[in-house]
Amino acid sequence: MAAPFRCIYRPLWRVITGSGRLTVGMRNISFTENHFSATNHKTASVGSPWTLHGAVCLQRLPVISQDRNPIEEEFSGLMQQMELERSLLSDHELRLLEDAARMSRKQEEDYDSDEEEDYGDKEIVTAQDLEDAWEQKLKQFHPAQRSNGDKLDVSSSERCLADSLVLLIKQDVGSQKVWLLPQVQWKAGETLRQTAERALAHLPADVKATFLGNAPCGFYKYKYPKDIQKEGSVGAKVFFFKAVMCSPNHLPLEKNSFAWVKKDELKDFLTPEYLKQVNRFIMSL
Amino acid sequence: AGIVCRTLSRVVSSQTSCCSSVVSVRHSHWFTSILSPKTSVPLRAEPKKKKKVDPRREQMMKERLKKKLKKLERVPPELIPIEDFITTAKCFDETRVREVPKLSFEETERRALLLKHWSRYKFSQHQAEMAEIKEALEAQRQALEELKIESEDLYKAAIGPDTDLFPFQHQGPCYTPPIPNYEAPDGKYNDITRVYTQ
Repeated sequence: MAAPFRCIYRPLWRVITGSGRLTVGMRNISFTENHFSATNHKTASVGSPWTLHGAVCLQRLPVISQDRNPIEEEFSGLMQQMELERSLLSDHELRLLEDAARMSRKQEEDYDSDEEEDYGDKEIVTAQDLEDAWEQKLKQFHPAQRSNGDKLDVSSSERCLADSLVLLIKQDVGSQKVWLLPQVQWKAGETLRQTAERALAHLPADVKATFLGNAPCGFYKYKYPKDIQKEGSVGAKVFFFKAVMCSPNHLPLEKNSFAWVKKDELKDFLTPEYLKQVNRFIMSL
Repeated sequence: AGIVCRTLSRVVSSQTSCCSSVVSVRHSHWFTSILSPKTSVPLRAEPKKKKKVDPRREQMMKERLKKKLKKLERVPPELIPIEDFITTAKCFDETRVREVPKLSFEETERRALLLKHWSRYKFSQHQAEMAEIKEALEAQRQALEELKIESEDLYKAAIGPDTDLFPFQHQGPCYTPPIPNYEAPDGKYNDITRVYTQ
């Protein structure tokens, strides 16, 4: 994409009167206000027409490993085969062979047990017996199930355990209810990261999250529709901060207002412009 | 007179030594008769010449020992062997060689093609990962630029280091999810790692 380096945006709500203008020269306005903010260091963004918001991109990282692709399955099979071919016999395998040889010797008629070298107690417990005992012990352990199936709906954080999920919230912005990442308006005197932490605290679920650094990972700006535009606030700029959920939290959240969503499911929830910006920093690795 | 007394005492002592266990002072060869001048034992022997030389000699001995010790210490300490780099003797045991069945032509072909397919798959995966990371970094950079335009203070706060982040710990994914309220069995083990001291 050889587009010039300018964030081309569209207003969040298409105003029906048709003034959804694509102002490419948006930057100029912010430039003229820039010298105000440059001179007043104490009161930040005094002249800027944008209201600042801090948002948190809370991720639940995967809990189990992903299933393998067909190519990956085939390759892992090949690797195991090759490693087996190139290896030496282990102690256990040698013991198995010896036991098999001894058994075959026992079957013969001219078997004399005195000819055997000292085997100690190996005759009592053969390697095969040991293997069977180990199998039995393994069967006694019942691990948890890998996949919960489709029983869980979107608001549970124990959905797809093999993928990383992002928390979305249904908030009313203006007059409409829109799905977004949890965001809160910035107050003077705090850093944007503290705003994001506040946004996290406002959620009804008590989650412990680690914020990954002080810097925002992405931003999104939108203009308010004409009727809401007050003096001094043309629109809003939202800065996103990434956070990773520490402990698995099983508190149930309201179905219609919260969602834990994979990256490819984001398009079902978010508006296209918002999605475009958010997709840049949410990784499906 | 002293000599006469000495011989007399010797004669007397030879006669009486067997009967009396306690030998009187006079019969001992260290003590002459009472009449002889009362002199302490060492005075009778050679005069001590070694008073000045002895400490010097002792010092010389000590220095020689120290030099020998230093020579020994100059030898570099024996290197601790890295156990991972030493192939154990077990690997060279001939009885352990596995019988490898010979591979057919189709099998070798299949393997070669699968390896090439795998390298293509991995390459495309790597490209995708790199592109995603690049995109995320670009998004962050643009966000910081916008923030700078907005306010210098917030920008400075954003690019400052986060002291609480490191050391960062996270439990990675396993094959099965963790069982809630699971009591793991007691894991006793005997630690037989070899510890080397230099």
